[in-house]
Amino acid sequence: MPPIVRRLAGGLAMPFGSVVFAFVVGALIVGVTGANPFSAYAGLICGGLGIGCTQGENPALEISNTIVFVIPLITTGVAVALPFRAGLFNIGAEGQLLAGSMACAAIGIKFNTLPSPILLPMVLLGGMAAGAVWAGIPGVLKAVVGAHEVVTTIMLNYVAQWLLRFLIIGGPLQLGPGTSKSLPIGDGARLATLLPADNSLIVLGLPSSVFRVHTGLLIALAAAALFAFLLWRTSFGYEIRAVGQSQKAARYAGVSVRRTIILTMLIAGAFSGLAGAIQIAGVDHNLTDKYFSDTTGFDAIAVALLGLGSAVGIVLASVLFGALHSGGAIMQSDAGISSNLVLVLQALILFSIAANFVGAIRRGLPIGRKPSALPPELPPAAGLMSEAATAPPETA
Amino acid sequence: MSGVEDIFRLLFTANLWQATLAAAVLLLLPALGGVISERSGVVNIAMEGMMLTGAFFAVVADLAWHNAWLATGVAVLAGALMATIHAVVSIQFRADQIVSGIAINIFAAGLTVFLVNRIYGIQDIGHVTPSESLPYINVGGLDQIPFVGKVLFQQNVVVYMALVLLVLVHVVLFRTRLGLRIRAVGEHPQAADTAGINVYLIRYSAVITSGLLSGLAGAFLAIGVSNTFVPNMTDGRGYIALAAMIFGKWTPVGAFIACVIFGLGEAIYDNNSIIHVSPYLLSMLPYILTLVVLAGLVGRSTPPAADGLPYVPGSE
Repeated sequence: MPPIVRRLAGGLAMPFGSVVFAFVVGALIVGVTGANPFSAYAGLICGGLGIGCTQGENPALEISNTIVFVIPLITTGVAVALPFRAGLFNIGAEGQLLAGSMACAAIGIKFNTLPSPILLPMVLLGGMAAGAVWAGIPGVLKAVVGAHEVVTTIMLNYVAQWLLRFLIIGGPLQLGPGTSKSLPIGDGARLATLLPADNSLIVLGLPSSVFRVHTGLLIALAAAALFAFLLWRTSFGYEIRAVGQSQKAARYAGVSVRRTIILTMLIAGAFSGLAGAIQIAGVDHNLTDKYFSDTTGFDAIAVALLGLGSAVGIVLASVLFGALHSGGAIMQSDAGISSNLVLVLQALILFSIAANFVGAIRRGLPIGRKPSALPPELPPAAGLMSEAATAPPETA
Repeated sequence: MSGVEDIFRLLFTANLWQATLAAAVLLLLPALGGVISERSGVVNIAMEGMMLTGAFFAVVADLAWHNAWLATGVAVLAGALMATIHAVVSIQFRADQIVSGIAINIFAAGLTVFLVNRIYGIQDIGHVTPSESLPYINVGGLDQIPFVGKVLFQQNVVVYMALVLLVLVHVVLFRTRLGLRIRAVGEHPQAADTAGINVYLIRYSAVITSGLLSGLAGAFLAIGVSNTFVPNMTDGRGYIALAAMIFGKWTPVGAFIACVIFGLGEAIYDNNSIIHVSPYLLSMLPYILTLVVLAGLVGRSTPPAADGLPYVPGSE
């Protein structure tokens, strides 16, 4: 086997092995509770990929629904992966996404009469700015006083959630008394769907208006490309990676660790905020109570880890998790299995990646053995934790 | 401004402080678990999931056996089982402890609703009312003391247990050999190992203890306070407990003070008929206060030195 193939196979064993592990353990859980894992997974595959549907589902529609889930996963996945490279763990993608969606909705409602060429950039940039602020606070706190970004981003997730509830229940964006949603954004703030929203045009057996897949897909793919370019082709990307490898070494190389931490978080927040804005502009057109239980920003952690922090990996992992979420609904209606099984699978994937079960199986189980240190594929966030938590990274 | 006067009058009612203490205990139990776990060097953001698991199994067991104590036992064990997963993954397999914690929380959120639907049917979203719940106990004699009696001695049995546990954890951590060992393992595991302390044993015990305590909190929530299970019913309390732990600078007493402050906020907005601020804005306060503390405005809050670092025997 040529070395390049062997290296590739070695690198891919962890993500693929983790997914297989999750599905096997998930099947055991389904089986133990007296249900049929095969019909559960058949529902997931039908709903996620449009393959093997038995209840007359339209495959094209299922794929379209999956892509709608994939779009924000790519964008928030990038928002988790970029700080990973700098040794920062952004658990706050969810809060940043909510901040972006709230800003997008507020602007889209306030200026609802403006034409699209002006309003659409306004709502998208507004969402990015709000997300950047939401991530910038932990960035500044980390850089200046050494406050751990994991804790600060968790706190800000909840602040964003409560702010959202305030805004649409009794607050300034509420549609009307007794509702828990906002007014709709103006037509000019909406992202176009890829297919025309036309009831009379029949595409693949269905009116084209039912296909919700929208132009946000192009923005998300551009975001992934931008992430790769920024990380590998710019001097700032080099600085991010240097800080992630060793703050001390980066400092000796003349990199401002503080500036890098703050900028990395600002950019990450802008990506998450963009995801939130795209959801409002492209899918929902208003804030609703379904955002209270949104988990995109947490799914993004799994996406970034499973995608090994690379742009292509993030897109592929997003397709997997998008398909799982989209397929969950079909699994529930066709096989009668709660769509929450998807969360169980996701958690199992995370356990497997974090603990590097695949590597452990290869080496033999670690019990009573002399181990290598941390799972090598993981981003370098963990190792820096205590160094960063105890002292400000730079004393100028 | 009658609003300010109303709040002021509210602060002098025993009802408010009674509710404050109950709300504080719901946070204190997982917070104590967090303190023990992190003092031993294992980062624990999984209290939310362990508590939710405890709440779910408390309701299931209570419905099956109609005995609140048996149900509480099951809840405590369920919390410990979740903690054991966190311990195995993060101590034995040296996983990133934050990823493992997130995975526990997602796992608990998904598994509980999945099981509700498997056990009680897909139509029923799992609103089940236990026929037995954890009792409220008035301590004879003491409960008649004006004000104090109502606040301290007319409470749920779990409140008394939690206050005893608070003292116990404080004494064990700071006044016993075991406590010294736990803290040594969390500050410098290599040195502790050299001194003959079993690092893995201490860390496993500490993490599992955090699961026991969070499971108890879940039982209190499900079959003491609300008598039902609702998907995701912990609603961020495990994370507020995390905040309280940091706010209290990784000490039991400090965490308790933070829990009382956060519990007071909750008790005040439960009285929101006289408050004219949105309860949703008030709900942000625990998180914003914690950010302020982390910003160093109220003194530094520093975790144990080896918190979050897997221990590799023989490493430097």
